[in-house]
Amino acid sequence: MTSQTKSRWADDEEDAALEAQRKREKELKKKAKAEKQRKLEEEEILRKKNFAGATAASEDGVSAHDEVDAELGRPSKRRRLSPEQDQARVEPASAKPLRFPAPEWGPCRHVDNFEKLNHIEEGSYGWVSRAKEIATGDVVALKKLKMDNAIDGFPVTGLREIQTLMASRHENIVALREVVMGDKLDDVFLVMDFLEHDLKTLQEDMLDGFSPSEIKTLLLQLTSAVEYLHSNWILHRDLKTSNLLMNNRGQMKVADFGMARYYGDPPPKLTQLVVTLWYRAPELLLGAEKYGAEIDLWSVGCIFGELLTKQPLLQGKNEVDQLAKIFELCGIPTEATWPGFKRLPNARSLRLPNTHQTTGAVIRAKFPLLTNAGTALLTSLLSLNPAQRPTASEVLTHPYFKEDPRPKSTAIFPTFPSKAGQEKRRRVASPSAPKRGDAPKIVGDAADFSGIFADRDEEEVGGGFALKLI
Amino acid sequence: MAPEPDVTSLSNPLATVEQLSTSSSQLDGVPPDLENSLRFAGAQLTQAAGILLRLPQDIIAQAIVIFYRFYVGSEGGSFRINALKDVSAASLYMTAKISFVPQSTRSVLNVYAYLTSSTSPLRQPSETSAKPNPESYYLSEGSYQSARATLLQTESILLRALSFITQVTLPHHLALTYLQTLGVLPPTPTVKSTALAARTLAYLNTGLFSPQLLYLTHQPSALAVAAIYLAAREVGVRLTSAEWWEVFDVDREELGFLVVGLGSCEGWIKGEKGRWLGKSCPLTLEELETEL
Ligand SMILES: Nc1ncnc2c1ncn2[C@@H]1O[C@H](COP(=O)(O)OP(=O)(O)OP(=O)(O)O)[C@@H](O)[C@H]1O
Ligand SMILES: [Mg+2]
Repeated sequence: MTSQTKSRWADDEEDAALEAQRKREKELKKKAKAEKQRKLEEEEILRKKNFAGATAASEDGVSAHDEVDAELGRPSKRRRLSPEQDQARVEPASAKPLRFPAPEWGPCRHVDNFEKLNHIEEGSYGWVSRAKEIATGDVVALKKLKMDNAIDGFPVTGLREIQTLMASRHENIVALREVVMGDKLDDVFLVMDFLEHDLKTLQEDMLDGFSPSEIKTLLLQLTSAVEYLHSNWILHRDLKTSNLLMNNRGQMKVADFGMARYYGDPPPKLTQLVVTLWYRAPELLLGAEKYGAEIDLWSVGCIFGELLTKQPLLQGKNEVDQLAKIFELCGIPTEATWPGFKRLPNARSLRLPNTHQTTGAVIRAKFPLLTNAGTALLTSLLSLNPAQRPTASEVLTHPYFKEDPRPKSTAIFPTFPSKAGQEKRRRVASPSAPKRGDAPKIVGDAADFSGIFADRDEEEVGGGFALKLI
Repeated sequence: MAPEPDVTSLSNPLATVEQLSTSSSQLDGVPPDLENSLRFAGAQLTQAAGILLRLPQDIIAQAIVIFYRFYVGSEGGSFRINALKDVSAASLYMTAKISFVPQSTRSVLNVYAYLTSSTSPLRQPSETSAKPNPESYYLSEGSYQSARATLLQTESILLRALSFITQVTLPHHLALTYLQTLGVLPPTPTVKSTALAARTLAYLNTGLFSPQLLYLTHQPSALAVAAIYLAAREVGVRLTSAEWWEVFDVDREELGFLVVGLGSCEGWIKGEKGRWLGKSCPLTLEELETEL
């Protein structure tokens, strides 16, 4: 780190005090956790005893149980001598079944258990505020779900957000602690761990962006979250810098599961109305009804580019303009590079020039400081043909992360100046996630984009080069 | 494409000891016997509605588990306050909503109107199938609107009672994977291997109706192992390695319990059906009050 960056992220006394405080809290939490685990184990034992008891109580049960006991080659439970003996029995470590702490269900708690501290952000699906759990003093983020399209009952987007976030336990995914309710049945709040920053605001506030080694760390963290989601058949469908949260310990966590859902293989028909425009994959813009994990990797590519330049990579004004920007950077798809793309609903109304654009050159030109490996990774993530994009697992093993400078360890990641009050985040205008009901089709007047390729392929311009919507 | 799924996605939340020791319904004066019958009737109703709606069996099974979860424990729902037909409908509607096969409120309510009508096949469990009488289950616009309001309100109540845990992992898929791992499901099926797989799944399906709420008290892996154990014994397939269940992290004691639980389920269902022969298990609040 240079001295300039040092002043930006200096570890001052306040930070040290904060760190000490954090350690103390961690100790306490650890203790509480151990206690909870012990209780769980006790319950597990009790539960089993209860059932064994219940079975023994029914006459049928007793005989059947004995029979099974004999078959399984073990002494009948009732013949066991004493609980002490039971405990003394040493089990080989390898034979010990793994136990996963499963959540329990019970009525939602009331939001009154939390004291609101301040508002953070209003988004398209709800508002978020910083709050303190009164009983524990824990600072959390409360996100209120918007219920306005409640004609079909509880909004399916909210149900999926909760379902997928609850199922996701990963160090790079924001932890959902619980769901609480207000006075009315449709006042529903997600209680999440609070994170100090989001990547978008953080980057806007920085003078010269993240260093190459920091970018690698951030990208690895994002990708390992995405790998986890995809391996659990969850699509995020709204990856963008404002949905990536950061704490002061160099950790990034993916948030905002408002668009997330389970998917299948073969992919089911899903809505194309997903992903904020600037991060939306070309197959979505072209109206593909069947798509998969590849759309999230396109967004990862856009985020990668944004981290490198501190600017959103593809800032289209609308769907058509977005496609034009994409083709400008990545070239025009052909039947050879993307077999079948012409059959996508919106591609039919698109008149494309008949050229052989290469993609590498333009991406390389736009990122002159990126190494060969970095360029190769970015180029593959931004493959127009979804089948050519790498999977998240493939990204994680990419040579880019093995060459110097190596990814910076989160332990020595800079701590960002803590905006102590966590006042409302300043937001530069940018598009938000699509709402239900937005038109997914590209319609309208013929658009001529011949100009955008002018400096790329001069011979072709003369040949009536145009990207047209007809 | 994807690597091994995360282990946590293969587990379910389980009922606590406290939740199993008592229930809202019992506190409201519903005898445990009748409570078991009501649970079974609700599960059957959900199953029948799912079939009429042509929902895949896994969606139906998930809805049944959700239905059970609602009525468990002193803080759960009570059969005397939330009618089982409403909770069954809300469970199915909500489960379908987050799946690939969402259903309209209209079709769900039509099906429930039919199944709870006086000419419902559920009311006449014997083979005396009288012709269903459309008059008795036709939903006018007015009654549709009020049924819809009830459905959506029950959905909210259900979600709150479950603290929004809607995830249900079923053991069926796991059981087939285990059979493959055990080498008893060859790529080209034999008569025996087909029977083994079929019986395994049958034990799991019957187990869903267990009065011991096996799907609320045991993880999918344990249910899968016990069903395989029973099916292999029945079909006469030898699972060679001793203590094979430990490979799947299931201990002997839990297996023993589940083998009894799953094995006795069919008999219990028969008894339950006999018990209500000629009359109908109460599906509405009024019917329950009369029964009590
Ligand atoms: N756990 C959290 N800790 C701190 N801040 C958070 C947390 N969750 C969300 N935020 C802040 O609130 C903003 C909005 O949250 P989120 O993206 O989940 O809501 P949204 O309504 O779906 O937003 P949008 O539609 O704008 O994407 C985030 O960009 C972030 O700044
Ligand atoms: Mg967001």
